[in-house]
Amino acid sequence: MSLGKCLEILSKYKLSFLLGVRTTLIVAVLGTLIGLLIGLVVGGIRAIRLDKTAAPYKKVLKKAVDIIFRIYIEIFRGTPMMVQAVFIYYLVYTNIVRWDKMVAAIFVISINTGAYMAEIVRSGIQAVDPGQNEAARSLGMSSMQTMFDVVLPQAIKNAFPAIGNELIVNIKDSSVLMIISITELMFQSNSIAGTTYRFTETYFVTALIYLCLTSISSIILNAIEKKMNNTKTSLPQSDTDFKSISMAKEEL
Amino acid sequence: MAVIEVKDVRKGFDGLHVLKGISFEVNKGEAVCLIGPSGSGKSTMLRCINLLEDIDGGSIRVLGEDIAQLKDINTYRSKVGMVFQQFNLFNNMNVLDNCMIAQKRVLKTDPETARQKALLHLKNVGMADFVNAYPSTLSGGQKQRVAIARALCMEPEILLFDEPTSALDPEMVDEVLNVISDLNKQNMTMLIVTHEMGFAKDVADKIIFMDSGVVCEQGSPAQIFDDPQNERTRQFLKRVL
Ligand SMILES: Nc1ncnc2c1ncn2[C@@H]1O[C@H](COP(=O)(O)OP(=O)(O)OP(=O)(O)O)[C@@H](O)[C@H]1O
Ligand SMILES: [Mg+2]
Repeated sequence: MSLGKCLEILSKYKLSFLLGVRTTLIVAVLGTLIGLLIGLVVGGIRAIRLDKTAAPYKKVLKKAVDIIFRIYIEIFRGTPMMVQAVFIYYLVYTNIVRWDKMVAAIFVISINTGAYMAEIVRSGIQAVDPGQNEAARSLGMSSMQTMFDVVLPQAIKNAFPAIGNELIVNIKDSSVLMIISITELMFQSNSIAGTTYRFTETYFVTALIYLCLTSISSIILNAIEKKMNNTKTSLPQSDTDFKSISMAKEEL
Repeated sequence: MAVIEVKDVRKGFDGLHVLKGISFEVNKGEAVCLIGPSGSGKSTMLRCINLLEDIDGGSIRVLGEDIAQLKDINTYRSKVGMVFQQFNLFNNMNVLDNCMIAQKRVLKTDPETARQKALLHLKNVGMADFVNAYPSTLSGGQKQRVAIARALCMEPEILLFDEPTSALDPEMVDEVLNVISDLNKQNMTMLIVTHEMGFAKDVADKIIFMDSGVVCEQGSPAQIFDDPQNERTRQFLKRVL
């Protein structure tokens, strides 16, 4: 492998690489954000603990929704995203609508991420001291108000490192979405390598680009986390909270 | 006039009988102290009154209504304040917001009125200088005083205290007990679970002694502390006094 050749490939194909980076970033960032929204809804609902005094129909409904969410989480965490991508893309394409590949890619990475985020959010919520929940209820706040005003802000803050980690994972793992031929970084690299026949050099450049993307994301995420902690809303025991989150994750 | 009427209340947790037919009353303006050994069901009794637990038998009437029949539990809870052993302040809010959030959400008070009321009650518990502080920076005694102010901001008819000083360092116990004594002087109706026998003797209009899920004895502080009739009361007092 020659470094000179690497530089040559980089400069000659920089537009192709850039296009790949752009697609990768769009898919990864959107996938993470939409996944977080899915995770907030699914994880939030999963973490709701009905009052012991709640109406029976609410208890049944909650149970049914819990089972559905659980199945969703198991399926999307238990199968490879590459398989999910081809299956869902063709399923929809042949049976429902001839959809755009980019839309399909963002859809797949979003629901895949959502399954992970749901567990992150749920364990983040469960790591918030239940006494605060009871205090809010004893003041007359509804379970929704308690969730949004008291529990979720603390849960998101405690879970932020794990949430941010999903972005890093998505930047790398969106590479499997080349299977449905969207022009993300891995797909572009494959075609560059196919043209130049310099496989080692091309993929070396590709690896470096991924490394740059993840490092920059890491720096940005750390800065955000620091800023959140500086607003003093942090719990003194946030370290242990994070530990209990990751422990809760391992339990599953 | 009785504002809390507990009649023959029974409650179990999967086969474990915790309350085995509890009856007592709390009259308006009274301070009633609930004492008894650990595990006797005192916290469970308070939690049932606040509807944090439901009961298996008997009835609880508060402010003239059977609380098992209530349509609007949240409005009811806003009238019956609760102060917890572990303070349970909202860690994501400063002291002022801790005292304002439920006013805004439950009573729909406008922000300025809510602020004024929060400031008033924080001043009464001696925490007016800490409005911008976050709970994690406060001492236990300070946290508990904020928790009391937070409950008072709802202008409750009744306050329930579950061992409000048990999690405190000894030197902070008095600052909290003084706040509760002040409330007693202002005729706040209070049901207080406590292990502070001296305090109970001073402020209580009535003492209820509970052991293993039953009320063994109830009466004035003089009756309970100076002339207990029940053997278990005597044993308990001998241990704690
Ligand atoms: N949610 C629950 N599930 C199962 N058992 C419970 C639950 N809450 C309380 N108990 C049991 O009920 C009994 C009474 O508990 P409770 O907390 O009411 O006692 P207590 O009088 O408040 O004691 P302490 O002085 O230690 O606070 C205990 O044996 C306890 O283990
Ligand atoms: Mg207790």
